[in-house]
Parts: sequence; structure tokens; C-alpha cells
Amino acid sequence: MNRKYELVYVVSPDATDAQVGDLHSQVEQIAQRLGGKIDKTDNWGRRKLAYEIGRHKEGTYVLETIDGGGELMKEIDRRLKVSDLIIRHLIVRIDEDQTKIERTRSKRTDSTRRRRVARGLPPDRQPGEGQRSDMEDDDRFDLPEVER
Amino acid sequence: MNGKRGFGGGGRGKAGAQGGQQGKDGQRRPMFRRRKVCKFCADKIDDINYKDTKLLMPFVPERAKILPRRISGTCAMHQRKLRTAIMRARQLALIPYTAE
Repeated sequence: MNRKYELVYVVSPDATDAQVGDLHSQVEQIAQRLGGKIDKTDNWGRRKLAYEIGRHKEGTYVLETIDGGGELMKEIDRRLKVSDLIIRHLIVRIDEDQTKIERTRSKRTDSTRRRRVARGLPPDRQPGEGQRSDMEDDDRFDLPEVER
Repeated sequence: MNGKRGFGGGGRGKAGAQGGQQGKDGQRRPMFRRRKVCKFCADKIDDINYKDTKLLMPFVPERAKILPRRISGTCAMHQRKLRTAIMRARQLALIPYTAE
């Protein structure tokens, strides 16, 4: 149930700020009704579209991070499809990717530390050390293994 | 196509094992070719995100087609992630599908 989703929608440039705010509160209402909540909202403002959609060349992008279940996102998806102010939207599940990224990151720092300790250095990089660390070479060696 | 790709991968793996130097007597190559390294592995970029257009743009040159692995040198895992990120960004009109 507690999954994390990211929702980005592109609002038509004809919409006023009030209308954009209205859409946001609509999404929030649906989320609340179905037992979810909005973690974060980020308005990217008006941006040029990479290609024309219908007759639009610009759009207002809004990003929402939502905590909730699949049913909730289904409902939001349905509502956004119906709305004619919204010209594009995308829903992506992010919690799995985030944990994966976290894991690789911690794994890497762990192995760096272990290697450094093995070489008799303090586990964290000292401020005086140069840009090219020995670790970079090691990673380049690992590369073919990843490909296989 | 499958065989070709396997051959290329094997060749690169071997080059890595030999310390990155080609020019063994096996195949003669008069031109110096730099060994390609996956940008994401080298820079340790874990998160290939569709919102990060600055990161993605170098991989969609002029015609807005996705740059193939054999040219960019991206490793298989990261090319896969790059592809999904580019496809998502295209849906939101952050990156073009085509350019004439």
C-alpha cells in the first residue's frame, strides 16, 4: 500500500495560475479520499515543449510525489485523462528504483572504505588527496564484468 | 547480429584484461582508437532520471535518435536505463521524438 509514485502533468498554457492551483487541489482531494497523501509538489513553471502537442507549443509542468496505492493512481490517471486542461501526464512508480539506487550507493562506499582500509588508509577520503583516486582505476577494471 | 555483438563484447573484455592496451599482433590497427568508457560508470551516476534533460541530451544528437551503445560506449545496464529515461522524457515533451 505504501508505494511512492511520481506524477508529472503538463497544463495547457492558456490556464491561469488559479486553474493550475485548482488542479493541484483536485489531485490532493482524490489522494486524501483514497488514503494517500502528497509528499511534495514542485511547479517547474512554463516551459517550451520539445514538439507541438495539438496546437500548443508551451506548457506548465507540475511534479507531485504521491504516497499511496495502485487504486489511487488509477483514479488519478482516469481523472487526468478526462481533464482537457491537461495536455500530457506521466505516472511513474519510484520507491523500488530509489531503494535500488540507495543500495548501489551504499555498496560502493562500503567497498571503497574496505579497499582503503586494506591499503592502510583512513576509510574516508582526506581533503588533501588528489582528484584521481585509485578507486577510479578499479572501477574501470570492473566494467567488462558488468557488461557480461 | 547476435554473434557480432558477442564478438565485440569479448574483444573489449579482453582489452580490459590486458590493461586497456590494444595493438597486440592479433589484429593490426594503424589508427589509434581510444577505449570507450561508460559515462555513467565512470562518473558514478546511479540515477538516470527522465527529468534530468541536461544529462540525457548528449545521448540524443541532432535527429533526436538514441545514440547507440557502440558509439557512446555506455554499458548495457546503463544503456537500458538511459533508454527508459529518454522514452519517458519524450512522452512529456522534454525531449523530441524526431527533428527534421
